[in-house]
Amino acid sequence: MTRAALLLALLIAGPAQAQFKLPDLNINKLIDTAKGVVKATHEINESEEIAIGHDVAARLLGAAPLMNDMRVQRYVNSVGRWLASQSERPDLPWRFGVMDAPQLNAFAVPGGTIFITRGLLESMHSEAELAGVLSHEIVHVVRKHHLKAIQKGALTQLSADAAGAALNNVNGEARKKLIAFGTEMYSRGLDKGDEFEADRLGVVIAARGGYDTYGLPAVLQTLQGMNAKDSTVALMFKTHPAPSERLDTLAAKMQPLLDSYSSQPQLRERFALETKTAR
Amino acid sequence: MRLLVLALLFPLLGHAEPATVIRATELKSEPATDASTVAQLPENTAVEALDRQGGWTRVKAAAGEGWVKMLALRYGGPGSAKKGETGIAQIFNVARTGSSGTQVTTGVRGLDEEKLANAQPNPGELDKLDKFAVERKAAAGFAAKGKLAAQQVDYPK
Repeated sequence: MTRAALLLALLIAGPAQAQFKLPDLNINKLIDTAKGVVKATHEINESEEIAIGHDVAARLLGAAPLMNDMRVQRYVNSVGRWLASQSERPDLPWRFGVMDAPQLNAFAVPGGTIFITRGLLESMHSEAELAGVLSHEIVHVVRKHHLKAIQKGALTQLSADAAGAALNNVNGEARKKLIAFGTEMYSRGLDKGDEFEADRLGVVIAARGGYDTYGLPAVLQTLQGMNAKDSTVALMFKTHPAPSERLDTLAAKMQPLLDSYSSQPQLRERFALETKTAR
Repeated sequence: MRLLVLALLFPLLGHAEPATVIRATELKSEPATDASTVAQLPENTAVEALDRQGGWTRVKAAAGEGWVKMLALRYGGPGSAKKGETGIAQIFNVARTGSSGTQVTTGVRGLDEEKLANAQPNPGELDKLDKFAVERKAAAGFAAKGKLAAQQVDYPK
């Protein structure tokens, strides 16, 4: 680290001390804190991202296990892996899993792990609808929406040096706290803007994969027809903008693109065949 | 039981679903912009939604049957009760508790907020995830079987 960068971080870390308590200053502690800030705000590299995602995914699977159905799991992985290949991060270790839960939901975990619930899969009518949802989740990973939220959360939840340590080391209390926070994020949800971006760019990923682009809007319309107080959608509705708002936004911003690729395959029959054991 | 659940989950397969057009919309004879117009549907017209083809949904309206832009539709008629606890969640409640009581959050187990908050790592399940993984090349073969052709599409600005 250059002297200037360290000084800058030092000023960010402790402006109050720097101004008023300079004589009592523990300069070594302040430098440690400054290093923590730099670590916690640095660009997390891919292997660190994958390691964080690994821990978060293990926690999510502690909340709901995978469906014990190799055929369905392989099928969802095939659709997902094909779509991920059309993204800007085609070579991540992409993993897709169907969670055995009746609720309707899907989760993107940093590093390329994506979950969809059995409840959501059962509500779909075609492979294009599955592709629409998986593409939305792939965008969350490609744009690092959750990773950035975890990083931001680490800085507000932990002291700067603990945050730096938690993001860079796989063991210890701070790391545990970070992963717990990262898992809890799936109950709070991302910024609305991230969800709208995932909708817009997700439609593009589905189009690139050769699917009927109306898959995601069709799923949103199914959700829109359900009651937000229904316990199977309560968590999903709490953590996402209302489906009608998402449909309005897609109509306003994406209609020409949606229409240009709407005659691509929906693959209703393949979807019905490959998921029949899960229903 | 299973059939009943499916019937409730897939109202669009064979069943008409009450819906409303959210803006003045042309009812078309075919799912295409250049198809002949059957009728002009004013904003808030109640229709029965049938099936979808691309960006179009086939509907039955008082003015006739035809196709409207899918994104012009919202489900649930004007003033009509939405689907909700009459759906799958309530069935689960009845099945598990013998009554359709109000404790909906405990009626359906699986992935809720409480479960997420108390989740402990499950490394065994994480290992399974690796077994399900599909390689990039195999996924391309799978796409080709479905006649899916990759397209060059840019993100919107």
